[in-house]
Amino acid sequence: MTRYSIVADLNRCVGCQTCTAACKHTNATAPGVQWRKVLDIETGEFPDVHRAFMPVGCMHCDDAPCLSVCPTTATRKRDDGIVTIDYDLCIGCAYCTVACPYQARSRVDLPTRAFKGKTMKHEVVREDPKRIGVAQKCTMCSDRIDFGLENGLIPGLDADATPACVNACIAGALHFGDAEDPNSNVSQLLEKNQHFTMHEELGTGPGIHYLWGKSTGNDEPAPEPEMIAEPLGMPGVVPALQKSWDWRAASNFILGGSGTSLFLATAIGGTTGMSMVLPGLLALAMVGLGLFCVWLEIGRPWRFFNVFYHARMSWMTREAMVGIPFMGLGFLTVLTGSIPLGVVAAVFGMAFLYAQGRILRAAKGIPAWRHPGIVPLIVATGLTEGVGIFAVYAVIVGAGSSSLQTLASILLILIALRVFAWSSYRTSLGRIGAPTGTFAAFAADPIKLTPTHQAIPVVLLLVALAVPMLSPVLVALAGALALASGWVFKYGLITRAAFNQGYSLKKMPARGAGLSSPGVKPGWTTN
Amino acid sequence: MTKTAKTKSQVHSYCYQCVAGPDILKVEIEDGVATQVKPSFEIADVHPAGGKVCVKAFGLIQKTYNPYRVLTPMKRTNPKKGRDQDPGFVPISWDEALEAVCGKLNKAREEGLKDASGYPRVAASFGGGGTPTSYMGTFPAFLSAWGAVDMSFGSGQGVKCYHSEHLYGELWHRAFTVSPDTPLAELIISFGANVEASGGVCGIKRHADARDRGVKRIQVEPHLSVTGACSAEWVPIRPKTDPAFMFAMVNVMLHEIGMARLDVPFLKNRTSSPYLLAPNGFYMRDPASGKPLMWDLKTSRAVPYDTPDADPALEGSFKVSGQELGPDQVIWNHDQVDCCPAFAALVNHVKDYTPEWAAEICGVKAEQVRSVANQFVDHAHIGETIDIEGRTLPFRPVAISLGKTVNNGWGGYECCWARTLMACLVGGLEVPGGTLGTTVRLNRPADNRWTSVKPGPDGFMHFPMNPTKKGEWKSRSSSRHAHETLIPLAANSPWSQALGPTHLAWMMQKENFENMPDATPPDVWFVYRTNPAVSFWDTKSVSEVMAKFPFTVCFAYTMDETNYMADILLPECTDLEGLQLIRIGGSKYVEQFWEHSGFALRDPASPPAGESRDFSWIATQLAKGTGLLGAYNTAINKGAAGVRLMGENFDFALDPDVEHSVEEIWDASCRAASAELTDGAETQGLEYFREHGFRVKKFPKLRWYLSPALEDQGLRFELPYQERLLRIGQELGDRLHEQGINWWDRQLKEYEAMPHWQDLQKLWETALEDGFGIKIGDYPFWLITARSMQYSWGGNAGLQMIHEVASNIAGHKGVIMNPSAAAKLGLKEGDLIEIASPLGKTKGPVVLRHGIRPDTLLMVGQFDHWETPFAKDLHVPSMNALTPMMLELTDATGSGADLVKVKVTRLGGAA
Repeated sequence: MTRYSIVADLNRCVGCQTCTAACKHTNATAPGVQWRKVLDIETGEFPDVHRAFMPVGCMHCDDAPCLSVCPTTATRKRDDGIVTIDYDLCIGCAYCTVACPYQARSRVDLPTRAFKGKTMKHEVVREDPKRIGVAQKCTMCSDRIDFGLENGLIPGLDADATPACVNACIAGALHFGDAEDPNSNVSQLLEKNQHFTMHEELGTGPGIHYLWGKSTGNDEPAPEPEMIAEPLGMPGVVPALQKSWDWRAASNFILGGSGTSLFLATAIGGTTGMSMVLPGLLALAMVGLGLFCVWLEIGRPWRFFNVFYHARMSWMTREAMVGIPFMGLGFLTVLTGSIPLGVVAAVFGMAFLYAQGRILRAAKGIPAWRHPGIVPLIVATGLTEGVGIFAVYAVIVGAGSSSLQTLASILLILIALRVFAWSSYRTSLGRIGAPTGTFAAFAADPIKLTPTHQAIPVVLLLVALAVPMLSPVLVALAGALALASGWVFKYGLITRAAFNQGYSLKKMPARGAGLSSPGVKPGWTTN
Repeated sequence: MTKTAKTKSQVHSYCYQCVAGPDILKVEIEDGVATQVKPSFEIADVHPAGGKVCVKAFGLIQKTYNPYRVLTPMKRTNPKKGRDQDPGFVPISWDEALEAVCGKLNKAREEGLKDASGYPRVAASFGGGGTPTSYMGTFPAFLSAWGAVDMSFGSGQGVKCYHSEHLYGELWHRAFTVSPDTPLAELIISFGANVEASGGVCGIKRHADARDRGVKRIQVEPHLSVTGACSAEWVPIRPKTDPAFMFAMVNVMLHEIGMARLDVPFLKNRTSSPYLLAPNGFYMRDPASGKPLMWDLKTSRAVPYDTPDADPALEGSFKVSGQELGPDQVIWNHDQVDCCPAFAALVNHVKDYTPEWAAEICGVKAEQVRSVANQFVDHAHIGETIDIEGRTLPFRPVAISLGKTVNNGWGGYECCWARTLMACLVGGLEVPGGTLGTTVRLNRPADNRWTSVKPGPDGFMHFPMNPTKKGEWKSRSSSRHAHETLIPLAANSPWSQALGPTHLAWMMQKENFENMPDATPPDVWFVYRTNPAVSFWDTKSVSEVMAKFPFTVCFAYTMDETNYMADILLPECTDLEGLQLIRIGGSKYVEQFWEHSGFALRDPASPPAGESRDFSWIATQLAKGTGLLGAYNTAINKGAAGVRLMGENFDFALDPDVEHSVEEIWDASCRAASAELTDGAETQGLEYFREHGFRVKKFPKLRWYLSPALEDQGLRFELPYQERLLRIGQELGDRLHEQGINWWDRQLKEYEAMPHWQDLQKLWETALEDGFGIKIGDYPFWLITARSMQYSWGGNAGLQMIHEVASNIAGHKGVIMNPSAAAKLGLKEGDLIEIASPLGKTKGPVVLRHGIRPDTLLMVGQFDHWETPFAKDLHVPSMNALTPMMLELTDATGSGADLVKVKVTRLGGAA
């Protein structure tokens, strides 16, 4: 097998950005889009300071998170290790963008010009309409490699078969070749030098290897880099708030979670003789509106049907696939009042909710999302929100005291579960570490899922249980608070706490006869 | 709809936007539009960096199609000039533009080439260390045909170049710029040299290769530059205290390490170390021959320096009789007076410059200084040799490089002297692994360092000083900055005007200097590829001066801050649109050491945009319009456009009386180039170069090293003692005083035989206090600058792509500051601050980095544009607006340094 890889020699790299510029030329990327770039990283404090330059881009991972999440199969992996994007399939959902822990992907929705409002000749000639509204990233210049192979050239050795960034590298820092071939240039470099890959702990198997010192013959693995909570002067290196998924995506998590759970509550209420029409329609409308919001967010909305292409791996496909029977059966339930249909629809709804949790869990690029605790938390809050709405509905339609007491009990349990899920998630995340901005965003939420904040609905519900005559008001209030807490949390989770992985450097390189020094994981902290 | 298949082709070109070029490249063309710049791997075996191309070259596509280009000739309609005046440019035809320009030129010519003050009526300013000639086609031939032209209005020369290095480097070892022999070096000590930002593809490749094989580079500078980042060690020294560090290194070598571990044979035979010093500080000479004497240990007597088989003493004191030659041929006869060798005087000279002394001044530990000096000697491999192309040469793999602000302005002499001296102490000057010169610009011939080595006085190389002797001194210079009058070392080659005190040209326009000719403005000022209104100092004053020039012609790319003051704008073909052949190879600036030399073609990759015209066409029209066509063609024939069209075996000379097309001119040049490279055997023209892009022949690697040329002629390096400078300094002082000029007295003190330490920080602070009436304590920070590889020399601040990629490197968007200093002022990352010097103020966001001294601020590059499209919206500060042009801060070579004291005020929070 062939495994094309890039080796970046950090001792040689000078941060000149020639690779960045050459990539922009070769691939005609839009202004602001850099498939390849070089970071400027500083460690230490005056006067013991080190500075290094680190080329980054798509890592063409062995186990590429972008590939597994892609709902359309637009992202694929070639036998030679290159991760590709089929622009004709991609719907521009940006799931891959948030799944990539290397910030390698971007989406451009409109033709952009270097000089605003003014078009240059070469921009017109180089324009590729296929690339509008879809995911894009480094292709490893696969067209050059393929051309080279077709013409008997050796990628990495012959310029016409080698990625443009490697060809352009003036410091000779970038090398390209087959890492599976022990005699290749890159294998030889890896053999003779100490090296690491970025974010090894994520298990992605990156295809860019960084050399940081000569091999001693008895090399120890580079230690994990130190987290620096508030590094200075490295805005392009530290985790940044993801911008790919905004309020529209948040709406899907908010409305989808609440809606499916509301439908579950509706179906259960139906078994007690309550009407399923109004709450059922509300639930379906919420889920539908959430999906509509997502549709508004994707870059190629009229290809939305491609979302169904990747059930084997993508939780987004699975969410969509269970969403259809949920919506269909849900409507039938409302129309017919059939309890069995309602139960089946509710089961699909729960699958939808679970899928939402798994969607976030699979987004490896966002530390706040990928934590395993996110799934129970999303499910718990979805259920709490759904029951919270149902409680409000029950009060409005004048449900009986016993029903309200039952609802209060259920809500109480769900709030407790959600608090537990949140606390477990938050404690674990704090122990593992996450971007500083993530913790700050959670701390800034006006209503939190913490025991302190959730004590209010809990007290309200306990009073409601103790004093039935007060139940309608207190249950409605508690339900509304439970709902609001969940919505605030999810909105914050998607739009404010979703800092990406950022970059890290395991070892500062030895420069010439100098010594290597500890690396850095800037913008991260435990909390 | 089926899209028509694109037609693709490639042409050969080059990028010579900065002095570290040229980079040979290819341009891909799709459907007639230049779309990509690519490395040229065809030249990989010839080019020292394997045909790779610098990041700046990738900006050429945007440069070509920049929507803000000036695309028609324009004329100013508002007679008032100034930043507050809308120039009211309106398009005109080429006929009208040429008529206007030639009309002014012809009027100037009628009145005489020089005005009443003796200054040329026509002036011209070009940027980029001579690189514009690679884009101006045959314009040099027009200038040559014209006659006297004043090039003293600088755009950065003198204040932002390696000025002291240019002058002293050429004097001592034909080194217009100095480079380590990086491919062989083991240890490089870099005082602020930022080769990873300014070394171009060759420099970066050579140093990356060196790091790969384990070279140790120690970077001594106030901030952790890109080069510091790539070094094994960073020593954060106080700004402008480098001479103290280097003097202390010399002290360690001479007083701690001792002579036994130095290269004694080199000192005895290849330097002036054994020359005996007479009581007045000049050499003791043999009365018969006038030759300096040295003490022969074999015969125990004084003998002329060139006595065969002598074993000269380096230490001790000896009773000697002889003659001493002072200024203006004054002769003192001495009888049995105490004389010591120059080396012994050196030992005594540096005895107080201990590491402990330097540590206080430099803000570094004494042990660091001591360690660096010891490493320098440890790595010198004294006694070892290496074979280069069949010749055995000393192998000394240690070198010291100097950066800007270190090797220009006050202190530049000290640093250049100490650096070159230390190379001598270990025998590492101009030998493999050591400290090398790259090219010559003041000596002649300019294309051959070896043949520029001619015997001069006292066993040293000849140097074409401007005369200082009575009756020979030029009280009236041919330039407005008086380089022939004030700067003997500037010589008077075609490059000398650019190496004069170029800020004096601007200053004199504002205030007449006592007993100098009236500082008249030029009748016609040509400007090309430079923007002194941004790139010089005290940009406000410079802009005000140029606004007073009566007729300015700018070869304009886009509107900018300088051509805003122009009367006529002429749009020339840019880099990728013009046609030209240039010389490549040999050894050139920075780290351009080739093993080939020859020619490369810039073939148009895109048709001229709008009404822009090839520069050679414009030059021809100017020659025609001024009646100089014959002289112009003759100048081309003589090589003014880069290659002589006639030689021993060939003659492609143009008919002087006929107007030739651009292609005819360059076809003839290509044929002459082919013939020159093949001794007339081949004569292919433009088509050959269009197909191949370049043509070269071998350049002997041995010629990278100057020492064989000196050795073959029995010459010595003029170190450590500067007897010649001492003499001309005194002569110059006498001449100036005779003329009533006393304002240059401070500069005269620099003419020391061996430089003493002077407190440069204090010098700056005092000058600012005296000049502006401020309390220096109110300005707590030193402000410095650093090169940006993406921008430097490129004139590309208006290109979005360059801005985009440069932004990946810290400091391109604001002012770099140490966090501890910021904390004391309550400043946070991104806060908007005002930075004020005694001269002016600017503003920008704070960029916090630990890699800078707390007493120092850094502004990368040169921005502060207010007219250049795109760049004017970047709002990035530049220190140029804050740096004053002051006589007090001008050294004897006429240069200044990028350094000023500033204070900081917070204006607002992060945007």
